[in-house]
Amino acid sequence: MTIELTVNGETRTVTAAPLTPLAEVLREELYLTGTKQACGEGFCGSCTVLLDDAAAPSCLTPVGMAAGKAVRTIESLAPGMSELSPLQQAMKDADAVQCGMCFPGILMGLTALLARQPEPTEDDVRTALSGHLCRCTGYARIVDAALSVCVPAERGV
Amino acid sequence: MVAVAEAELYLPSSLQDALRVLADGGGAAVPLAGATWAMRAVLRGEELAARYVALSGLDELRTVEVAADGSLAIGACVTHARLGEAVADQPNLRGLHDAATKAANAAVREAATVGGNLSVAAFPAADLVPALLCLDAEVELARPDGNERVSLERFLQLRSELAPGTVLARVHVPAGRLRTAHARLPLRVAGDYPVAIVSVALDVAADGTVARAAVAVGSVEAVARRWPELEAELVGKPVGAEAAAVAAKALSATFHGREGIEAPGWYRVSVLPTLVRRALTALSGQEGNQ
Repeated sequence: MTIELTVNGETRTVTAAPLTPLAEVLREELYLTGTKQACGEGFCGSCTVLLDDAAAPSCLTPVGMAAGKAVRTIESLAPGMSELSPLQQAMKDADAVQCGMCFPGILMGLTALLARQPEPTEDDVRTALSGHLCRCTGYARIVDAALSVCVPAERGV
Repeated sequence: MVAVAEAELYLPSSLQDALRVLADGGGAAVPLAGATWAMRAVLRGEELAARYVALSGLDELRTVEVAADGSLAIGACVTHARLGEAVADQPNLRGLHDAATKAANAAVREAATVGGNLSVAAFPAADLVPALLCLDAEVELARPDGNERVSLERFLQLRSELAPGTVLARVHVPAGRLRTAHARLPLRVAGDYPVAIVSVALDVAADGTVARAAVAVGSVEAVARRWPELEAELVGKPVGAEAAAVAAKALSATFHGREGIEAPGWYRVSVLPTLVRRALTALSGQEGNQ
């Protein structure tokens, strides 16, 4: 069936069965391959996107239920490979990224947190990361980088 | 067998519309809320239904109403995240709050619903079930010809055999100046299913003794249930975490732990005294009805 989605601010029409995971449609139909499909069970967090500004496991989201909602993927954080978002820049500066498989999901999960809660505590950041499995790092630099963009002095405001 | 490519999704315009389509579809049409369980059916080796009726877009099922007396009416499609926000300031519902905000992970909590958590019979580790069991919650079942309220305990017995066109529409939580807590044991913090869950609600009298106790255990057996033997042991005594843990150890043989990939049955039972201690410790500092 034909489904109309709003992805990264653009209206996109896809042809897919309505129970197809949104992650699969993003990658296979729209070629937005920044969203990673790994566990397929909502455990690892690698496929996290934003649905109406809330973090969502796109592997567990039927594409038919995403119609009418604003979908944001990792590609929206630095459109056209332009300036990185403050969170992305902080991760880069902290050298927090290793293999990168989990990172698009981590960035989207933390983007949702920071939009809702601009000055989270370390505990808030760690709670938001609890659904994101990273097997390379020990999370320490990720947490530090996330907190660094929350400090007004370091944001230059 | 219905493949993902063949399964239909119906987006109803109202609850009545959904009930009609479900009733007309017989067993071939099933309700779908947050979809976090149904989307993993293939991974579990289960068959998909021919048609899913998506309820989560219905505004009438997405509200939490707090009455003047403090009782709650929770729409079935309220997500764990919204439920956590709605009860965050209610001191008597700390247990329900913790169940809603610690289940799964942040992204899943934005999708998974109250109704789905209570309705999936094959999911023994649902956090909201024991949390609501110890609050004496009732569920409101909607049918094309009218609604009916049954206790959550009764619903857990009925939920696999509901007639097509029957949907859990709301959960009703009575008012009560209780002290409540929810202790769960996942093997890792990162969104694992809990090995065992203990939810406790105590009505504490002015003299500091327990006037009424409700203890519910989840994830240990196939279906969460109350623990009447421990409840009886707690009543009439001061709130005491250590004494409760000792009583729990003596009474835990009443449970037959289920075997599972994350833990054997004996282990689930063996951690119950610790979870009882943690729950009682958590609520001992709360202000209740004194």
